[in-house]
Amino acid sequence: MDTLAKLQILSGAARYDASCASSGSKREGPSCGTGNTSSSGICHSWADDGRCISLLKILLSNDCIYDCAYCVNRSTNPVERASFSAREVIDLTLDFYRRNYIEGLFLSSAVMQSPDQTMERMVRVAEALRTEEQFGGYIHMKIIPGSSSELVRKAGLYADRISVNIELPSQASLQRLAPQKHKHAILEPMALIGREITTSLVERKASHRAPRFAPAGQSTQMIIGASPENDFQILRLSQGLYKKMNLKRVYYSAYVPVIADNRLPVLAAPPLLREHRLYQADWLLRFYGFSAEEILSDDAPHLDESFDPKTAWALRHPEFFPVEINGADYATLLRVPGIGVLSAKRIVAARRFSRITPDGLKKIGVVIKRAKYFITCSGRSFEKPDQPPALIRQRLLLGESSEAPMSILPKQLVLPGLIA
Amino acid sequence: MNRYLYDGTADGLLSSIAWILEEEPDPEKVTLRERMDTLFEEGFTIGTDATLAESLFFRLKQHAPDAAHTLYSFMLAEKEGMETSLLHYVSLAFKHGDKVKGYLTHPAVRDIVNVAKKAGRELHRMKGLLRFEKLQDGAYLAKMEPDYNIINPLAYHFSRRLRAQHWFLYDVKRRTAARWNNGTLQFGTIEQFTTPALSEEEKKVQELWKAFFKTIAIPDRKNPHLQKSNMPMKYWKYLVEKQGE
Ligand code: SF4
Repeated sequence: MDTLAKLQILSGAARYDASCASSGSKREGPSCGTGNTSSSGICHSWADDGRCISLLKILLSNDCIYDCAYCVNRSTNPVERASFSAREVIDLTLDFYRRNYIEGLFLSSAVMQSPDQTMERMVRVAEALRTEEQFGGYIHMKIIPGSSSELVRKAGLYADRISVNIELPSQASLQRLAPQKHKHAILEPMALIGREITTSLVERKASHRAPRFAPAGQSTQMIIGASPENDFQILRLSQGLYKKMNLKRVYYSAYVPVIADNRLPVLAAPPLLREHRLYQADWLLRFYGFSAEEILSDDAPHLDESFDPKTAWALRHPEFFPVEINGADYATLLRVPGIGVLSAKRIVAARRFSRITPDGLKKIGVVIKRAKYFITCSGRSFEKPDQPPALIRQRLLLGESSEAPMSILPKQLVLPGLIA
Repeated sequence: MNRYLYDGTADGLLSSIAWILEEEPDPEKVTLRERMDTLFEEGFTIGTDATLAESLFFRLKQHAPDAAHTLYSFMLAEKEGMETSLLHYVSLAFKHGDKVKGYLTHPAVRDIVNVAKKAGRELHRMKGLLRFEKLQDGAYLAKMEPDYNIINPLAYHFSRRLRAQHWFLYDVKRRTAARWNNGTLQFGTIEQFTTPALSEEEKKVQELWKAFFKTIAIPDRKNPHLQKSNMPMKYWKYLVEKQGE
C-alpha cells in the first residue's frame, strides 16, 4: 500500500479526535533545525466541517487487537487495516511542516501487538523527529494504556503534550465496554505524567538546562452517552482530574453509534447538546471559579437543556443579584450570565478611567442581551428590578430563541474515543 | 485649535507626533493631517525627521510596550485619515501607560485599537495560511496578497520557524519580497516576477496534503459557512487544498 492510501485510512480513523489544540507550548527551534511552537496556537486551515486544522492528526496503525464496543477499529469490525512505517510519518510531518501546512504532529494508534510494542514504535517516531531531524514543531502523543512507565517518560520528553484517554466515566462502564482496558492502566500513567510535569517545572526554575516534560501539559478525553453516568458524576470526575492530576483539558465526545452492539444504548441522535453543556460547565470549572457542587447536585444531577450552566446557576441564586457594574470585583462580574472573561476584563479596565454608563458598556463591546436581567449600572437597572426568577426564565427563553444554540454545535462534534 | 500637516510618510507621521507631544501643552486638542498642497490648505507643516520618529517609538516601547505594539500593528494597516486619532492615542499612552488599551470608551483609543486589531488578526491568520512551494533549486517560495502590509513581521516569524531552509516571501500586490538564507533576512522589491519551476516532489506532497485535508473533515458535518468565516475566500487563491474549487 502506498503512503497516500495509508494516509487516507489513518487520517480518516483519527478524524473524530476532539482536541485540535496546538497551543500552550513555547519551544524555540534548534538553530540548525526546523520549527518552533508558538504559545498562542496557529490554525493552518479549516476543514470542510469548519474545524481548525493545526496538526497532522493520524494513527500510526488502525490494526487493533482490542475490541472496545464503541470503536470502528475494534478487532471484530471488518475495516481496511493499515500501518505507517516510522519513516513515512517522519517524512509526512517534515514535508508538511516545511510548506507551512501544519504546526506539527498528533500521533495516536490502535494497539498493534501489545501496548508496549505500540508505544515503543510511537516513541521512536518522536525521538527520530527531535534528535535526528532536529524538529522543533509541536508533537502531541497519545499514551497507550498499559504501556510501561519508562516509555511514558520518554514520550513526555519528546512531546509537547501527552494524553491518556480516560474513555468512560467509571470503572464499571470501562469493564463492560472496553474489557481489555483497566482503570489502573489509565490512571497510573496519568498520575505519573502529572508528577513528571510538576518535577520538570520545579527543576526548570532552578536551571534552564533541566529537561522539559510535556510543556503543553496533559489532556484526556471521555465518551459521553455510551454509558449510564450522569452529568454530576462526570463533572466531579473532571474536577478531580484538574485538581489531582493537574490536567490541562478534559475533552468530551458525544457518543455516535458506529457499530451495533447490545452493550450500547440505542440513541436517536448523538447527544450533542449534552456534550455542549458539559463543555460549558467545564469552562466554569476552569476559568470562572465554579465548583462541580455549585453547578449540580445529587438531587439535580443533569445539566439544564434550555440554559447554559451559568444562567441556570444564576436563576437558582437570585440573592446574588443584581451585580453592580461599577462596583463588583472581577470574580463577581464573571458570575453574571452573558459576561465572559473578556467582557469582565474590559469592564475592570475601563472603570479605571471613568464610571461606565450603559452606553459605555456598549462601546467597550459588552453585550447585555442576557446580562441585563442581572446587573445595575451606577444603581440603575436595565430591566424592572426584582422580577421573579420564573419570569426572567421565561423572558430569557423567548429572547434567546433566535440565538439558536444548535448552530454552535457542529464545531464540537466528535465520535467516540477510538484511540487506545 | 492648532492644525498640523505632515508629508504623508510613516516617518513623517511619527516625527510629527513626537514634535507635537514636545511642543503642544494639550496634544489632545490639536489635529494632524497629510499635506495635500492645495491652495487654501490651513495648518502648519512639520518637517520629517527619521531619528525623531524612531526615538518616539522606542520611548513608547519602554513606557508602554503594549501600546507600542498597537502602534506597530496600526502602522501595518497603512490607514489614511486617522492621524489625529493616532496622535491622541499616543499622547494618552504616554499619560496612562499600557492601561490605555482599556480606555475603549475614548473614541481615538477605540479607533486605533480596532484598526491595529484587524492588522494583527491578518498577521496571525497568515502565519497559518501562508503556503510554501519547493522550487527546483531547493528553495521554497510563498506568494500572498494580504490586505495589510505584514511582510516584515511575517518574515520575522518564519525566520525563527523555518531556519534550516532557504525561502522567499512575495507580496504579489505590493511587489515586495523577503528572503531568508543562511541565517540572514533581507527585504526588497521585485519589479518583474517570473514564477520559477517547481521541484519534482512538490506535486506529490501537495497531493498528500489535499488527501489529508479531505479525509480529516467529518463527512456528515459539512459546514461551508463556518469554514468561510474562519478562512475567508480571499485567501484561497494560494491555498493548495482549495485549488480547483
Ligand atoms: S478504542 Fe483503541 S484500543 Fe479500543 S478498539 Fe479502538 S483503537 Fe483499539
